[in-house]
Amino acid sequence: MGSRLTRHDKIGIALFLIPAITLFIAFFVYPVGFVIVTSFMKWDGIGEAEFVGIKNFSTILGDKVFIRAIQNNIWWSLSGGFIHVPMAALVAMVLSKKPKGWKFFRTVYFFPNIISVVALAMMWMAIYNNQYGALNAILGKIGLQSLQNNWLGQLGSAFPALIIHWIFNIGYFMVIILAQISTIPQDYYEAAEIDGADGIKKDIFITLPLIKGAILTCMTLSMVSGLKHFESVFVMTNGGPANRTMMLTLYVYNQLRNFRYGLANAAAVVLIIIGICAIVGLNRLFSIDFKKIGRKKISTGGVK
Amino acid sequence: MKKKLVKMMAITMLAVFTLVGCAGNNATKTDSSATPAKTDTAKKEDAPKVDAAKEYVINFPSIWVGKDSKANMMNTLIEEFNQANAGKIKIVVEEIADYDAYTDKMRTNIAAGTVPDIFTFKHGAQADLYFKSGKLMDLTPYMNEGWKDQFLGDAINAVTFDSKVMAVPYEFGVTPVMYNKALFEKAGVMEFPKNYDEFFAACDKLKAAGITPMSQMTGANAWTSMLWYSQLVHSIGGPDVYKNGFDDPAFVEAARVMQKMFKYTTDDAVGATAAVAGGHFLTGETAMLMNGPWFIGRIKTEGANNMYESVEAAPAPYYAGGKGQPGGYIGFIQADIGVAKQDDPGKEEAVIKFLKYITEPENVKRVSLDSGALFVVKFDLGNEVERLQGQMNAQLNAAPYAIPHFEASVKPGVASEFPQALSGMILGELTPEQFVEQLKAADQM
Repeated sequence: MGSRLTRHDKIGIALFLIPAITLFIAFFVYPVGFVIVTSFMKWDGIGEAEFVGIKNFSTILGDKVFIRAIQNNIWWSLSGGFIHVPMAALVAMVLSKKPKGWKFFRTVYFFPNIISVVALAMMWMAIYNNQYGALNAILGKIGLQSLQNNWLGQLGSAFPALIIHWIFNIGYFMVIILAQISTIPQDYYEAAEIDGADGIKKDIFITLPLIKGAILTCMTLSMVSGLKHFESVFVMTNGGPANRTMMLTLYVYNQLRNFRYGLANAAAVVLIIIGICAIVGLNRLFSIDFKKIGRKKISTGGVK
Repeated sequence: MKKKLVKMMAITMLAVFTLVGCAGNNATKTDSSATPAKTDTAKKEDAPKVDAAKEYVINFPSIWVGKDSKANMMNTLIEEFNQANAGKIKIVVEEIADYDAYTDKMRTNIAAGTVPDIFTFKHGAQADLYFKSGKLMDLTPYMNEGWKDQFLGDAINAVTFDSKVMAVPYEFGVTPVMYNKALFEKAGVMEFPKNYDEFFAACDKLKAAGITPMSQMTGANAWTSMLWYSQLVHSIGGPDVYKNGFDDPAFVEAARVMQKMFKYTTDDAVGATAAVAGGHFLTGETAMLMNGPWFIGRIKTEGANNMYESVEAAPAPYYAGGKGQPGGYIGFIQADIGVAKQDDPGKEEAVIKFLKYITEPENVKRVSLDSGALFVVKFDLGNEVERLQGQMNAQLNAAPYAIPHFEASVKPGVASEFPQALSGMILGELTPEQFVEQLKAADQM
């Protein structure tokens, strides 16, 4: 350990790295660079591109639809981080106690994750349909006809309806958290029981702190994926009505369809910047807690 | 220019469907003088580079699949062509049933330089970009061999860019009102309204009879509603309305009428797609739908309770006091066929042979009769003309003018903003003036 690498080792490392680096450059560095360069150009995607400086950025930042798309993405991400993941953690904690039928429920919760997003979106379109949809039918059956609505076609309900259609698909994060819970030694719970801790106290003081890292990872993943969500919005509302459900990726797509490649790429650059800010911000937010934990461990001699 | 072009085609259509019908077999014989076999033979003599032992595989991503009314006969034609040219030419169809997905794929292919051998695209702003891309085959030499004589009026001029014929004009579209006469009569409306006062009076009667008067939609490209708006815009502002831009008051007034129309449609119109709007008409829930002849096939096969017998086509009502004229029609080239530039002269020959085959008058007639669609290729329908198709032809030929619809007359960005602005207006977020302002803003981006 710690010995210097021989020339032979270095060549070996370089050879092993070449395929990954080549693919990374070809499919990430080059496309992102291309997007950044063309974001300063007026380009229809087919003809010659013309340099226009920051005009594309000033145009999109002055576009109400773009601003609404940013707001919607922020709401989507926040609901992912602070509703979706906590629900997944809650269900995982319940299922980890292995109540009767827990395997069945684990499968049921995970099931939507093996169905394509588009198929799910179409199913929810049918549920939300105001003429034959299940939601309005149920409301009608229980005497709440006044609440029946064209859920995806009204200004007030379209975006919440979109959020609700995926917020309960907690299976993916539930499995990650469940896996983390399974690594907690039973000794901790037995010791807590001897000290008189009941079920809820064990969850709060043992399980939660020990799965905090997994929850924070899930929150980061969920919030970042919220920034790039596209499929279900495209299928269910296409950004409507009146751009109420517009998302950044859909905005980029629409600009591409309208042969405004410069504007589309400027919007994509803003999306990349927001994504970087979100990741850095979340890491900072979470790292504060990790440092505190680290200090506590050092003070008790837990870490050397 | 477009208006004249379309009108010229309309007049030529009239001539074709009447005079050519009388000439019958003679005209057909003249057209078929440029049959694929003869042209191909002549070409082969001049082009020794063609490898007779080689099978040329031609890639054809097609939108004429699935539920498209032309799918059935187009599939038959391709099968027949492949059989007749077995071992020499093989047309491989890539089925893409979703129009938006198809358009996106073709556009991306052209931008990336991987143009399919044959593909279709909408005529309009998009077509101009494709023409100037430099990636399409120049068809001028082939057209000049007599092929262009098979097409109506100025259709070839419409696909000519920089003095070169850059595509094959193919399907022609008109979009009258299709109405369910049985439902109209049930409501006590005995004939289709001539103007909008009569129209809304009829809508009131239909509504009173428990019938939803019309299908409208704001989902996807708001197709049906966009067509109604197109009719209103030219009826109020006249056939030259698009020359004045969005400052023409016709756009605001047309929006005002659209607001009123949405009071006579289904509850799910905001957000509804073309499938939903068409479905309401096919199930007999709504009494009117604005759409083109390609929908006739679906009325025949999917219409509830043999509704085909009850459906009639009519020109949209005219706006009293407007600059348009009664009977003014929406007419436009619906689809062009694009061809990729070919390096292999043998493959180029094969592609041209197939294109000549599907534009052969007899084959176009088969597709037209089977689907109800109209084409810019001259052919003799004779007495076999489908009833609704015949009505549309007669109305088009009697029209004082025919102009393309809104989507084909504005920039793609404006067309894509239309559904959003329309839904905003219908839901009360925008006034008609703000609706037009939103379109104008999209125009200036």
